[in-house]
Amino acid sequence: MTREEYHAQKALKEKRRATERRSYEASKGSMDLSFLLLTLLLTGIGLIMLFSASFPSAYYESGDAAYYVKRQAVFAAMGIVAMLVMGKINYQRLRGTAKMLLGFSIFLLILVIIPGVGITVNNATRWLGIEGVFTFQPSEIAKLGVIIYFADSISKKKEKMEELKAGLLPYLPILGCIAILMMLEPHLSGTILIVGIGIMMMVVGGMKRWLVALGFGGVGAAAFAYVKLVEAGIISYGASRILMWKDPWLDYTWTGYQMAQSLTTIGSGGLLGLGFGKGRQKFLFLPEEHNDFIFAIVCEELGLIGACLIILVFILLILRGFWIALHARDRFGALLVVGCMTQISLQTFLNMAVVTGLLPATGISLPFFSYGGTALALQLFEMGIVLSVSRQIPAPRNG
Amino acid sequence: MANQPNQPNRKSEKIRRANRLIQTRTFILMLVMGLGVFILVFAKLYELQIVRHEELQNKALDQQTRSTEITASRGTIYDRGGNILAISATAETVFLSPLELAEELADEETTWTADFLVENLARILDVNPESIYQKMERTYSQYEVVKLRADEAVANEVRTFLNENKIRGVYLVTDAKRYYPYSTLASHIVGFVGTDNTGLYGLEARFEEELEGQTGLVVTARDNAGNDMLYAYEKYYGAENGNDLVLTVDTTVQYYLESALAEMVDKFEAANGATGIVMDVNTGAILGMASYPDYDLNDFSAIKDSKLSSAVSSGKLSLAEAQMRQWRSKALNDTYEPGSTFKILTLAAALEEGVVNENTTYYCNGYINVSGERINCSGHHRAQTLKQTAANSCNPAFITYGMDLGTEKFYEYMDAFGLMEGSGVDLDGEAAGIFIAPENFTQLDLACYAFGQNFNVTPIALIAAQAACINGGYLHTPYVVEQVLADDGTVLYQHDTTPVRQVVSEATSAKVRECLEYVVSNGTGRNGQVTGYRIGGKTGTADKGQTGDVVVSFACFAPADDPEIIMLLALDTPARDTGTYPSGGAMTAPMASSIMPYLGINPTYSADELLGADTAVPNVKGLTVAEAKSRLSGRGFTCKVVGDGDTVTDQTPAGGAVIPGKSTVVLYAGAEKPTDACTVPSLVGKTPAEANVAATNAGLFLRFTGTTASTSGTVRVLSQSEDVGVKVPAGTVITVQLGDTAVTD
Repeated sequence: MTREEYHAQKALKEKRRATERRSYEASKGSMDLSFLLLTLLLTGIGLIMLFSASFPSAYYESGDAAYYVKRQAVFAAMGIVAMLVMGKINYQRLRGTAKMLLGFSIFLLILVIIPGVGITVNNATRWLGIEGVFTFQPSEIAKLGVIIYFADSISKKKEKMEELKAGLLPYLPILGCIAILMMLEPHLSGTILIVGIGIMMMVVGGMKRWLVALGFGGVGAAAFAYVKLVEAGIISYGASRILMWKDPWLDYTWTGYQMAQSLTTIGSGGLLGLGFGKGRQKFLFLPEEHNDFIFAIVCEELGLIGACLIILVFILLILRGFWIALHARDRFGALLVVGCMTQISLQTFLNMAVVTGLLPATGISLPFFSYGGTALALQLFEMGIVLSVSRQIPAPRNG
Repeated sequence: MANQPNQPNRKSEKIRRANRLIQTRTFILMLVMGLGVFILVFAKLYELQIVRHEELQNKALDQQTRSTEITASRGTIYDRGGNILAISATAETVFLSPLELAEELADEETTWTADFLVENLARILDVNPESIYQKMERTYSQYEVVKLRADEAVANEVRTFLNENKIRGVYLVTDAKRYYPYSTLASHIVGFVGTDNTGLYGLEARFEEELEGQTGLVVTARDNAGNDMLYAYEKYYGAENGNDLVLTVDTTVQYYLESALAEMVDKFEAANGATGIVMDVNTGAILGMASYPDYDLNDFSAIKDSKLSSAVSSGKLSLAEAQMRQWRSKALNDTYEPGSTFKILTLAAALEEGVVNENTTYYCNGYINVSGERINCSGHHRAQTLKQTAANSCNPAFITYGMDLGTEKFYEYMDAFGLMEGSGVDLDGEAAGIFIAPENFTQLDLACYAFGQNFNVTPIALIAAQAACINGGYLHTPYVVEQVLADDGTVLYQHDTTPVRQVVSEATSAKVRECLEYVVSNGTGRNGQVTGYRIGGKTGTADKGQTGDVVVSFACFAPADDPEIIMLLALDTPARDTGTYPSGGAMTAPMASSIMPYLGINPTYSADELLGADTAVPNVKGLTVAEAKSRLSGRGFTCKVVGDGDTVTDQTPAGGAVIPGKSTVVLYAGAEKPTDACTVPSLVGKTPAEANVAATNAGLFLRFTGTTASTSGTVRVLSQSEDVGVKVPAGTVITVQLGDTAVTD
């Protein structure tokens, strides 16, 4: 080794060390405490409500009233560990995983629709794993993949996002590909969510304003037209979904049952609710009461006041999340947080909207509440990403 | 890659603008996703949880709660002795779900067939198989009753059958069934319940509120599988069992009363049935009240009386009419013209007002002219004392008493005796009496009213008034419910026996009793005599308009000096060709006499009567004839010795047999006792002496009942306990009822 080589190597090492030190300096800020606490609070409330909502089903199905909550608690614990670890990791390191994670997600999505590989429940093949032991939805991983990849990619585009060629064309095929794969499962709600997250990130990333307006206007107009056409009897695809949304009691015993039960559950809660644990609709009346419709049980047991308090915690979490995005050190961090928070907020809203009959029924789970270990662990992991970004928020300049 | 803080910013204007755009859009997104959408959610929640709360809560409660009715046990009805007249017991209704059965039958795994099911159900439940097939065809239905209220035993059999063959689609539900252990007894008082277990008639209807109890409700939270929820969400509205009724009715009295009515109606071919009431004179408590035709409470729709049922089958009566006929209590649902039994009231009023006294005499010409109308008497009684006018039931005499009272006073008394407003008995459907309005009440009306014609009263109102005449003057409300008891025995209601009012004085009442006792001892009521009892009474034979048909009746009370009970028997439209003169004294008084010993009054015998009373024959076999004779004569028996031995080898009747006193005991001294059975001779129509000879010749003993103390030459045997020509063992005691056949009222 020559002296030059030695020096060059040393300089390189020095430079790398400096970079690492700077990175370390930047990332050794403390996590955003209020966001962390809100996350933990929601996870806690979620677990408790899950127990209340799931114990009748758990009891009837397995004989152990705590069956669901025990499993969920394991994932919650794992998720919290993952969140704290992720919070400690410099989020910049995620950039390197972006392409690989997206590719892996697409691989899993392909895998799940191969007959015989995926697990089918209620005519939908959405799960991978060993039935009864551990299953997960590849679409959950795909969400993460999309968030990280889009954040990485969009943050690099900077002002080029305004251009059609750079800002739109690379992303639409990805979203389209994922959407097609997921609709093959089929998984409408998951598709909506992933496409929604992707588009939101593109919008925030700097998409042309007219394009945004056109997109939202187009989607809105299409939805409106669809509903009107269904009502007029011209379109029959998904018609029952729309009609039951309008009045679930039209076909109470069959297609409207889930929605009617949900509305009944929420409505019977009244202002103050029946009291925690004292809900009655979970006794085999309300299907999916510990999954997608857990919020109805919340409303029944805690009443309007309790439901609003929980909504308030969600709102605080979401606002704090976006606050972190606004104060992120860089575009990548901001977009990562926007992606994660869009996922949480969009999913929360869609779930509540469906459960309350604001939107036609589709299966979207409520973050932190609904039963589903992978989803919960991944949500907490995403919260870890937000926390990681929060650590690098530049200290406010004094003066 | 990463921008470093605190480094000179070398970004171009475009990049800065792009970064600002991110910030702006993130902020907008924050507002929309963090606030905007949740306002929508809140609005929707408000609509559901506040605006539509009630509507949705009701929907929830409808499906979450299963309300189980707890049938309250209907109260029991007891007689005064604690015998059960009506009681509810568990029964089960069998029903099938045609829909479910059709599904089951279509199921390949089902091992049984429709025929098998129907055949067995029909057999166990005793129903027509065809009707089950018909019900099974109604596959739109889920509830078709196969058998309403099957007994528990039958229900168990059905259950076993269903379980053994694993049949789904046929079910049992618990229900209550009303049982009437005495079936026909006191049917008009007790009444019955309909298919829904609510009272339709009698006390069952009248005391429905007391008896039915409060149906309880358990509202249980249930899950969608129909099971109770895991934790207790239960609202319990306890069932309150119905209250029990304790009646004044005595089943023994009621039984004899009903038997007497049925016998009378049968014997005298009464076209319109009969009624009878036995009442405690001092309280108004009804010990027995019967009406004929009657019916079986356990099968109240079936026509019990053979005449009525043949009228239905021949089309003369509709089934509904016949049912109404047998359900009516003639004692209170119908009115009648009382006739001469009403004279008790006229007499009491006249004595009370002083228009007559015990020294009053009246000369009967056989008729009397009132307002230009001639009213005939039943006889030509000539000179009579007050007692005799009663004993003869002399119409002109009582018309005169009434006229002496005057229309106003007479009307006042009818009112005071409670005839106008009715008796107020605690049973439904008491008919109102029919009277001429006071302003139209003429002398002629008064004349007819004085001997009980031209107006209508119910027997129950009449007996209450008659009781007031003899019990010291107190009018009591007749009643059948003594107590209402709660399920735990607490007395919720006790009848108050305070009289309504005193109508006549004690002294007047005593005079009335004296006159009426005379009627039975020496007058038209002599067929009402019973050995051992002092009885007062008054017969009645009331014309039913100008048809020639009559209502014959007898009102009597005992003991005559200190009355305990009063009885009124009335027979509506007896036939005129039965061989018995259609009068109260000839038809109803003997019947009253025959049941008097069962009404719960202790007899008091005079020494002479005691001799005639039933005595046990001592065993004298083996004794010398002389010893046996003295032993038997010591007990008042006379002896007849057959054979010429010294010792008694046999006797008729055997030792220990109870035969009427003063009878002849046959002693066999060496001679063989005849073993052939004796043939019962015809005794009806004979004088007591003739009957005795005939019986002794046949080797039988007689026990006389009825008018035994009468010395009248017109006393004849009215009936005999064993039919003519029947073979009976030698020494059998035959009971014969004596009666005076010449009584015309």
